[in-house]
Amino acid sequence: MLVFAVAVVLFAYASVGLSMTGRIPAGIAGYGLAFAVLMLLAHLAIRWLAPWADPLMLPLAALLNGLGIVMIYRLQQSGRDGNAGRLISTMSTSTTLLQVVWSTVGVAAFIAVLALVREPRTLQRYTYTFGAVGLLLLAIPALLPASLSEVNGAKVWISIGGFSVQPGEFAKLALAVFFAGYLVAKRDVLSLAGRRVLGIDLPRARDLGPVLIAWVASLLILIFETDIGQSALFFGMFLVMLYIATQRTSWLLIGGALFLSGAFVASKLFAHVGERVTIWLHPFDPQNVYHSSYQLVQGLYGMGFGGVLGTGLGNGQPYWTPLVQSDFIITAFGEELGLTGLMAILLIYGLIVQRGLRAAVAVRDPFSKLLAGGLAFVLALQVFVIVGGVTQLIPLTGITTPFLSQGGSSLVASWMLIALLMRISDTARRPAPQPIQEEGMTQVVRAG
Amino acid sequence: MNHALRRISLVALLMFIVLLLGVNYVQAFEPSRLATQLGNGRTFSQQYQYQRGSIITADNQTMAESRPVKGIYKYQRFYPDPAVYAPVTGYDSLYSATGIERTEDKFLSGSDPQLTVHNLIDLVTGKPKKGATVQLTINSAAQSAAYDALKETGLPSGAVAIDPRTGAILALASYPSFNPNRYATFSSAQLKRIDNRYRSDPRQPLLNRAINQSFPPGSTFKVVTSSTAFSKPGGKYTPSTPVFAPTNLKLPGTSRQLINFDNLPCGNGRVPIDYAFTVSCNTAFGNLGMQLGDNAIRQQAEKFGMNDPNLKIPLQVSESRYPPIPGNDPALTAYSAIGQYNDQVTPLQEAMFSAAIANKGTLMTPYLVQKVTAPDLTSLVNASPTTLSQAVSPTVAGQMSQMMINVVAKDYGTAHASVTSLTHIPVAAKTGTAQNGANNTGLDDAVFTCFAPANNPQIAVGVIVKGGGLGADASAPIAVKILQAYLNAQAKQ
Repeated sequence: MLVFAVAVVLFAYASVGLSMTGRIPAGIAGYGLAFAVLMLLAHLAIRWLAPWADPLMLPLAALLNGLGIVMIYRLQQSGRDGNAGRLISTMSTSTTLLQVVWSTVGVAAFIAVLALVREPRTLQRYTYTFGAVGLLLLAIPALLPASLSEVNGAKVWISIGGFSVQPGEFAKLALAVFFAGYLVAKRDVLSLAGRRVLGIDLPRARDLGPVLIAWVASLLILIFETDIGQSALFFGMFLVMLYIATQRTSWLLIGGALFLSGAFVASKLFAHVGERVTIWLHPFDPQNVYHSSYQLVQGLYGMGFGGVLGTGLGNGQPYWTPLVQSDFIITAFGEELGLTGLMAILLIYGLIVQRGLRAAVAVRDPFSKLLAGGLAFVLALQVFVIVGGVTQLIPLTGITTPFLSQGGSSLVASWMLIALLMRISDTARRPAPQPIQEEGMTQVVRAG
Repeated sequence: MNHALRRISLVALLMFIVLLLGVNYVQAFEPSRLATQLGNGRTFSQQYQYQRGSIITADNQTMAESRPVKGIYKYQRFYPDPAVYAPVTGYDSLYSATGIERTEDKFLSGSDPQLTVHNLIDLVTGKPKKGATVQLTINSAAQSAAYDALKETGLPSGAVAIDPRTGAILALASYPSFNPNRYATFSSAQLKRIDNRYRSDPRQPLLNRAINQSFPPGSTFKVVTSSTAFSKPGGKYTPSTPVFAPTNLKLPGTSRQLINFDNLPCGNGRVPIDYAFTVSCNTAFGNLGMQLGDNAIRQQAEKFGMNDPNLKIPLQVSESRYPPIPGNDPALTAYSAIGQYNDQVTPLQEAMFSAAIANKGTLMTPYLVQKVTAPDLTSLVNASPTTLSQAVSPTVAGQMSQMMINVVAKDYGTAHASVTSLTHIPVAAKTGTAQNGANNTGLDDAVFTCFAPANNPQIAVGVIVKGGGLGADASAPIAVKILQAYLNAQAKQ
């Protein structure tokens, strides 16, 4: 499977070169070998550290990561070295190399997580540590001056000396661990039923505390970090984990209502939130089309231009869409690989999510169950928010597309997420330890 | 907890289904609507992502081609000999196109349904999509000669040459011309600037004078008047029929008198039609026109292709007009009969007069597109000549031919000196010097229509030079240069 994934990526890379310059790119041996070695290392690490882990996850993640690198290379080469297309000013000649380096860091983090977390339950011990770290990571960009934390209007970065990290990506993982640990401890209290209204068991009013805190926190992110996507991710993850822990549908309804009303009020109170809604509802309005909705509309044009079969890698015009290499990379895939390619990519995500949820179902320990469920769902939610955003299904919010988007933090965090899911699936699928065999015992007796 | 996890799985599945439906909607159902939305740069730049077909002359010279360039667009339109061919090719710009670039766009761009299969095969075999090649009937020698000769006059002018046997247009030139390469720019700001400059230029370089501007035909209209007379049933008029040709023709109902050129007398005042034609007596034809009547002349003019607003070659041709005369006023009919009332013709119409006579009275439909060839060399269009009308009977055509031969061959013919001093090719012609402006104070327009070789016609030419003066002096040499260039080129083959 992994060989197949690497082969697909190499083929895509060669295809980019062939359509852009008519030649197979010169770097194919180097890049290809580096990518293959990287994935081989990840594979060997699994054989060694988590031999029972789900065998499908690594090839799927590798395929996405590889396709992301290929697309970033293709976008970087647009208008460069005599290639057709317009230069994308937000990319430099080293963008692809940097992405490969980040992939290496990502795989290293993947191996490190597998090596350090031998047993998922050990994480439960550090529940509150992770909670504190997660909140801190989230809060840093909001507290830092804009010069150090704002990139393209989103205040979600720590950027020092040209090197920037999105701490929110890692906060997501830390908070997932925190939520899992916290909810396992409190699930009995939280699932106590209060009054019953319209056939739904409402929780007791005094137990609303945690959900309210999560809601307020997510709103604070929304307001201070100008990041609706992140806040939706955190709140969604929390709600779903709360639901899994308590099995109370009422939590989902209460939380959903809270989020929607919060978002609605925010859209009225804060211009940047309201603008997102306007763009979503009226993207083709002549007043918006060259300004606020330009990116969304160009992304849609790109996907429409690609149609069912796509233009082929290197033959489209994705350079019209601003920041196509990060938030809008999915539209570049839609344009060049067409509906067909985009559906394949969505199915890959779907498979990873399904495999993660399956691990959650299979694993016995409740903490691992919650963690796997939360992580798998947050991956699904992230894909939904960004792909739904660029396809005008929901208001557009700027979050990364896992594994595909240019950017190190998201890539490394995604690899760590996969590592955690694989660790849990390894735990779930590991055969129960063999009891010490009778034969051995008798041998001891005989010897004695 | 597994129960909740299964439900969450369903929610996740639902989310992916919604996304799949969403991308299906955008990419399978919406593309045609998205393509036409505001600010969609991809749609129009798409046409520069593959090679647009070339436009070539009948003798395989390139008039327009797409060349590979670096940048956002892969190909840029290039016109190797821009001013010469501009009235034919037109331009192809970011936002619009004119000329053949416009009328044959579906072939050149490869969007014609006939090309769909070829494109599909190319898609599968990985060959880049390419437009079809459009071959015109234009002869490069004739076209260059036409443009160079018009340019030499420095006056607004147009010239058209037709193969009278088929209607194939051999040359279609206009001066002043423009440079379509300027329109091939990818910068919309530059495009706007160029377009504004050309549009505000008082010399109107974008105007195609060969087919889109009409001028008074002057004495060349005597071809129509004579044809009307000879076509009268009963053979009342023949070239030898004597007609009344005074020095001054008193016109009924007005104090004005019709005079001959420079107030000259016409023979002894009563001359055969062919003599009046050869020396171009206004009074004789004014008088003849009044005898024939406005209706008969107009019907004959229409058989030569006038009063037809729908002629397309496939460029839209402006109507050459012979409007009804108010109240059948005989005085105005007399003016009309010598091409000096409201009659208006294009240079193409002038060529059509001669072409009909040269082709034994049968006027072939003029056309520009000879052949369209797909990138894989299969032929998509192959022109077959059609008849536009039977302008005159072969007998009348014979009589007209002889009279037009006399215009050049007889030493008293109006075109004798100017044509025979330039060529030994037997040419049949009619000159025209159209007065215009208020009270005829404007400079005369030089008009000329001819065909050659007179005994075996291969080319018919119409030339009009605005303000050129005498047709014989200003326009005849241009026509001779065109037909010489063409016949020489044909002889070399």
